[in-house]
Parts: sequence; C-alpha cells; structure tokens
Amino acid sequence: MAFPHPRGIIPSEIAFLAEMEMVTVVPRQRLEGLELLGGPIEPLVPPRRASLPLWLALLLKRQRRANIIPPAWLHPDPLGLILEVESQHQDYKNAFSPPPPLPGQPSVQDRAALEPIARPQYTPDGDRYYPSPPFLAQNTAQASTSARDMPALPFHWVEVGNMLLDAASDDLVDPDQTRRLLKDLREVRMAKMRSGVDVLDAAATGGGGVALTGVGAMEVGEERGFVAGVVNGLRKIGASKEQARREAMAEQRANGGYDGTQDDEEEDYMEF
Amino acid sequence: MDIDDILASVDRGAGASSASTAIDHQLLTRFWVAERAVSEVLPWPTALMERMMDRVRWQIETIEDLAASSSDAPDPSSKSNNATLNLRLSILQTDLARTQFLIRSVLRTRLAKLSKHSMHYLVLLSSRSTNPSATQSQTQPSQSSMDTSTATNTRPEDSVPDISSVTDLSPLSEAEAQFLHTHQSLLASHYAGSFMGAFPMNLRRLDDNAGGTSMVQGPENREVVFVRCLGGEVPVIVAAAAAEEDAIDIGVTMRMGDVWVVRWEGVRDAWERGEVELL
Amino acid sequence: MSYYDVDSILTDAQKLPCTFELEVPGLGILEGNPGEDIKAGTRMDLPLWLGEMLSIGARLGTSRLVTLDMPDALSERVMNALKADPRTVDLRALAPHFYSLSERILEIFEEEEMVDVLSDTFKKRAAEIADHAHNPRGAVGDGVDFLRGLDETERQLFRSAHDRAKEMRIWSGEAKRK
Repeated sequence: MAFPHPRGIIPSEIAFLAEMEMVTVVPRQRLEGLELLGGPIEPLVPPRRASLPLWLALLLKRQRRANIIPPAWLHPDPLGLILEVESQHQDYKNAFSPPPPLPGQPSVQDRAALEPIARPQYTPDGDRYYPSPPFLAQNTAQASTSARDMPALPFHWVEVGNMLLDAASDDLVDPDQTRRLLKDLREVRMAKMRSGVDVLDAAATGGGGVALTGVGAMEVGEERGFVAGVVNGLRKIGASKEQARREAMAEQRANGGYDGTQDDEEEDYMEF
Repeated sequence: MDIDDILASVDRGAGASSASTAIDHQLLTRFWVAERAVSEVLPWPTALMERMMDRVRWQIETIEDLAASSSDAPDPSSKSNNATLNLRLSILQTDLARTQFLIRSVLRTRLAKLSKHSMHYLVLLSSRSTNPSATQSQTQPSQSSMDTSTATNTRPEDSVPDISSVTDLSPLSEAEAQFLHTHQSLLASHYAGSFMGAFPMNLRRLDDNAGGTSMVQGPENREVVFVRCLGGEVPVIVAAAAAEEDAIDIGVTMRMGDVWVVRWEGVRDAWERGEVELL
Repeated sequence: MSYYDVDSILTDAQKLPCTFELEVPGLGILEGNPGEDIKAGTRMDLPLWLGEMLSIGARLGTSRLVTLDMPDALSERVMNALKADPRTVDLRALAPHFYSLSERILEIFEEEEMVDVLSDTFKKRAAEIADHAHNPRGAVGDGVDFLRGLDETERQLFRSAHDRAKEMRIWSGEAKRK
C-alpha cells in the first residue's frame, strides 16, 4: 500500500488547507445559498458583501462572477510595519512577530495583565472544541482588529498572499509593492528559522521544547523535515546522557531526596 | 436508495444542522492534519466518520438529482437559470471532491501506517483478546517453536495473532482491523511460499525477538511534532525513568496561542483532550 | 537497533578494535588462519555486533573474552578536529554511518564529553546543510566538498530539507518560471 508522502502535510496540502480560510467577496451576480459539506454558503446578492471560503472565492473570481476584498493585512502599509518589527525590533530579533490572537486570548499589549480564557465550542459528540486557523476569520475584510493593535500575519499568510496575488491582483492595492514586501518578509523569517538550529537541543530532551510562536503554516511545512531530523539526531546522540540523568533523578526520588517543589508541581498537574 | 439510507435520512436529527456540518468538517480537517503529522495510528473517530460518510452520500444524491433536473428541462426560457444551475453544480462538485480528498487521504495514511507496523498493531489488539489460543501465540515467542519437534507453530502464518474475538479495536476501525489481519496473513503465507518455508523451523516466525532485537516494530512516539496550544496553559508531560511506573517529568509549559516543537509523547494526552492541535 | 532498518544493520557491521583476553581454541578463522587458535592479547578489528557480544562478560563482571576500544572514527584526534571546526571534517571518510556508530558506541562507553562535542558538531553542520539545501542552484565551490563529506544521517537531513524547499518553489511557481 504505497502512500508516497512523508510525515506532515506538504506544501500543496498546506495550500489546500489555506483555501478553507474565509475571505470577503463582492458578488457580481446572484446565487442562491448552498448547503456544502464544509458548511452552508450564504446567498449572493450584488453588491452585498459576503464571506466565502477562499477556494470558492477564487472559483468565482476566475469566472469574473465576483471580486475579492483583500484582508486588511495584505496591504503595503501593515506589511511594511510588520517587516519593520520583524527586522528591527529588539524583542523580535530571534522570534516571529506575534500572530493574531485566538478567541479568548488577550491582545499582545494586555497579555501581561490578563489571563487567556479559552472559549470552547462543543462538537456534536459533546467534546470541547477550540477553533483555530483556517477556521477563524483572519482573512476577511472585517478582520482588522482595533486601531491600537499591531497588524499581524495570519497563520496562512504565505498561501493566502500568494494565491490572491496570483488570481486577484487587480483587487489588491499596489500588488507589486505587496509582492516585494511578502518576499522580504519570507526572507527575514526564514533566516530566523535557520539560525534557530542552535537552540534545537532544547526539544531533544524529554519534556523540553522550542517555541516557534507566530510561525506560518507554509514555514512549518518547509522546515518540518529538517527540524524533526535535527532534533531526532540530537536526541539519539544525547540518549546515553539523558538516560544517565533520568536514572540519577529516579535514584534521588527513591531515596526521598528530592525537594518539595517538584511535589507541588505534580499535585498541580493532578488537579489539572 | 436502500432502506438503510431512507431510515438514515429520516433520522438525520442533530447531525443535519448547518452548524454541526461546519464543525464536523473542521474536525475532519484537523484530524487529517494530525494523522499526517505523527507516526502512530490515531484513534478512529467513529461517530464523526459515520456522520461524514452519511453526508457525502446525501450530497452525491443531491448532485445527481440536480444534474438530472438540468437535462430533463431543455426549456430555452430558463437559460439564465441553467447558467446558475451549472455554476451550482460545479460548486457542489468541487466541495464534494475536496471532502472526498480529505477522507481518502486520512484512510490512505492510516493504511500505510498499518502496513508498516502491522505486527505491532496485531500484537496490541490480540493482547486484549479473551481467546486463550490467541494470547498464547503472542506470549510464547520463539522458544516454544524451538522446543517443539512437531509441525505446530513453525509456519510464518502461525505468528500472525488471531484477533477474531477482540472487541476493543481501538485505535482501528472495524474495517481496518479486518484489513490488518487479512493483509498480514496473506503476507505471511506469501513469505512462507517464497522463502521462509526453506528456513530452519525456529527461524520461521515473524514476531521473533531472539538476539535482543524484536521483529515487531512499532511507531516512534519520541519524535517531535509542531503543535499549537489551544487551552489556557498546557504542560509537556513525559514518563520519567522506567523504574517507577507512575512517575512523570513535567517539562515546559505552553500558553494559549503558542506554537512549539515538542515530543509527541509529551502532548499526546493534551491532544486527546483537544487542548493542543498538530500543525 | 531496528530490525528492518538497513542503516542500523550497516552500522552494526562497522568495525571496532578488540583485544582478546583469553585464548580461544579454533577461532583462528577470524584472523584468516582456519583451524588455528586465537592467543590471548591478540588485537583485531571485529564488527560491532560481534565485538559487543564477545565483550558482554566484561559488563557482567565475569571473565571476558575481549575488551573493546574506541574506533578510529571517534578517536581523540577526531574529537579535537571537531572541536576546532566541525565543518571541515570529512565524516563520511571516517565512517559512512558516523552518528549511528557514535550512538552505539556511547551506549557501550560512558563518554559525557563526547556527547557534547558530537551534539555541537551535529548542530553546526546542520545549519550549514540547511543553507546548501535551500540554494536552488545546488552546491557550489566549497559546498561540494562539504556535502561529499556528509555521513548517512546528514545526507538524509539534506535530502529532506532540499525536497521540501523544492516542493515549496514548485507550489509558489518559482520553479516553473525558471
């Protein structure tokens, strides 16, 4: 049973996923509402704006049946600002600019003061469900957050940007400048990803990890095999040392010689 | 339409509302990404997949009905109507094809993993068996076959565990469990016929672990994955040194909206609770 | 070790210097003298799987048949070269499965410092591998020598990084336009 793909979705599949992002269109013809497997589609009545999944918006755009209103971030001004943060700002020298908040997550400015409050929906089976991209309105025209918020790159920025530049450049403000900025952003961020190899041993030990908050879907897809390969390699090289460390810890525990703080941590977990 | 479909369509109930259609589609999409991201076979979401398969069936009927109505009425006055009809058809068909792609990719990914780790999953399932002969073949590996001079337990087929009486098939679906057993049995008898039959008696098993290396290879759960934290705070938790069974190591703590590269085994439980998603 | 993994089988076939502690009758075939005995104190290179098996007595504390030594690929000299500049060492020439071999050796010998040197080597070379893999024109200049010296683990790393970068260029249309 041949399945040719490696672990993790590949660029064409990531683009497929990004096509589920909702975008705003201005229809040029009427169309009744439809019950799709991905959820219902509202009736199209020109010139009323409507939200559609990107794949459908592109299908209508190619047939000249609709125009696409680009998402707020896909514009030279916000992209220029983000590029400046990514390349100049001290706090983001080794990190990506912060992504748009999830529902219930405080904005970047309030994060120190406010706790996130996860707001679950419920699945038909009664399980908790926290929506995330591509199923959050991060690319609709209304998606612009309050004025004091920094513009942010959505998770599927590479794919959405690329596809809209390809199929709907006449709907964009200054597509050439936009394309240039997207390219610069990609380069700045790829360089960060690359220089991150140095800290990857943090993910090679048992409970360790490396934070990549703000990374885009396509960037994950591009670096996944490499990052996983480096971490696996480091884990194997360090296996004997980790084994020794764990045995020492277990011995310490068995002798009752470990301090109370660890106890507390474990209790916290149990309540959780 | 057969009677089951008619009953099912009468019984659409909760699963048929638009909101749950959208959420189910999102769940299927998330599950697809997850299944593609790890090397183990994830627990089969039975209820979700049943609802999805029902909807796919209804949608195919809807499309067929619509297509039939377009060819039934060659009324020139409804030309503009026909134009949107074609558009509607092409939208419905694209939507259907996209969903079918997701389902197929999930199934193919799982079958690939099952084929790769077939003995591992057979041993896992048969360990829950109530049928003593099935557990026997799995708890008594090579030694038994070395000792006996009779012809029992000396064919590669004999090392394929019997899972016929197993009721808990998790993480597999019924069809997958059936595939797994049939596929491995065919493979074993093919091996027997083509080369293993010529081996010495004690080298004809497929679950041997003589020499300290087991022939049964499972998925690697220490590999790292990319995850996004969806709950308020989620710690990475791995089992501590093997000596103590309940001991755990608590690693880094992820906060809502964070993306981390961490070991799959450290976030697997949180993933099952829906508090992290795989990317 | 993984049963069906060819790389892991090849790793176990790599040779290790061994010294016989006891006289073994009739094992002269290992030295190319069938029928002869092996004398105590004889040094020879044996495949990892065999050497490890014969040395097991050593770890159980009973009389051992052979003692193992570090293979040349992981000698002090190599470690020093790696500390000086990991990028210039031809790992492939030392051992085609350099890291897999190290992994197995580190299971046998406790060498904490070696773990650190090798981790650092692996990271520094990985960063270099990533740069080459993302270069659409392929390896040029010094890169050719560096890439030729990659061990098997590193080659797989290069391949996966290179394939993803290529898929990405194809998706975004850059590869077709060229």
